[in-house]
Amino acid sequence: MRFKSRYLLCELVLEDPRWRQNISQGTVVYNVREAIARTHGDFGAAACAVSLSVKYLNVYTGVLLLRCRKDFYQLLWSSLPFITSLDNRGQRIPCFINTLHVGGTIRTCQKFLIQYNKNQLLQLMKNCTNAAEKEAIRQSLQSCSLKSLEEPEFVLSKNEENE
Amino acid sequence: MDPMHGRMREQPKLAGPTSYERIVLKNPSEHHYMKVQLEFNGEGAQLSATQFKLLVVSALKNLHGEVGSSLPLDLLSFDEKTLCAVLRVCSRGLVKLWSSLTLLGHYKNHECSIRVIQTSPFLLALAGNSRELDLE
Repeated sequence: MRFKSRYLLCELVLEDPRWRQNISQGTVVYNVREAIARTHGDFGAAACAVSLSVKYLNVYTGVLLLRCRKDFYQLLWSSLPFITSLDNRGQRIPCFINTLHVGGTIRTCQKFLIQYNKNQLLQLMKNCTNAAEKEAIRQSLQSCSLKSLEEPEFVLSKNEENE
Repeated sequence: MDPMHGRMREQPKLAGPTSYERIVLKNPSEHHYMKVQLEFNGEGAQLSATQFKLLVVSALKNLHGEVGSSLPLDLLSFDEKTLCAVLRVCSRGLVKLWSSLTLLGHYKNHECSIRVIQTSPFLLALAGNSRELDLE
């Protein structure tokens, strides 16, 4: 049997969105580890350390995908709200982490994220004032689907296998 | 709600006036009680009840973090001569408490360990220890 994981799709909200560009995956992993060690002690840190990693970090939207072993993902999940600032090379950046979705595979998280972003765009459309804005949002709504994203990746990975 | 909910009372049929009551608890008990003893390697240190509680809580904090140290935990009695103590902890924290007591190794540069003598969901059970019975 394979080792099963849980993927936590989170939203990283910073006080000043400009700081997002400076944040790396290493920073996030370090701060999450520290938060687990603080809230759940040595036991929690050791239980989560086995396969804790950041699978995806989008510095433009602040979306974050964390991976953890299935047995102890609740320790990770419960310590995320206690992160109130990120330590980035000596700087303290006030922030908080919203958990959007917990999934068993990266694919379900990706599907959820697309649906979530679609809903956000629909909400934006409601608040639109002029026609040009509305048209731009409509176009981006039509362009979001998993298929157009997946196919080029699939072709790429096939090519790599052949090589 | 009926305060005796979940309890079953059985009145045994006895002819005489001496009758006893059997109470069976059907739901899991809220607290667990632990009788523990602190042991030092060689020369030990003197502790007060407060210091002992601090020692236990800091052991919990080391192993289980802030979540562990915020468990409902009470020190019911502490004997400064024998270093025996009775702890009360809510049932979901029993494993956490026990594991952190096991991994405790130091108090103020003295090597020490905590021996768990008895553990029970009923405080009355700690009153007598069958291992200390004097059998003829």
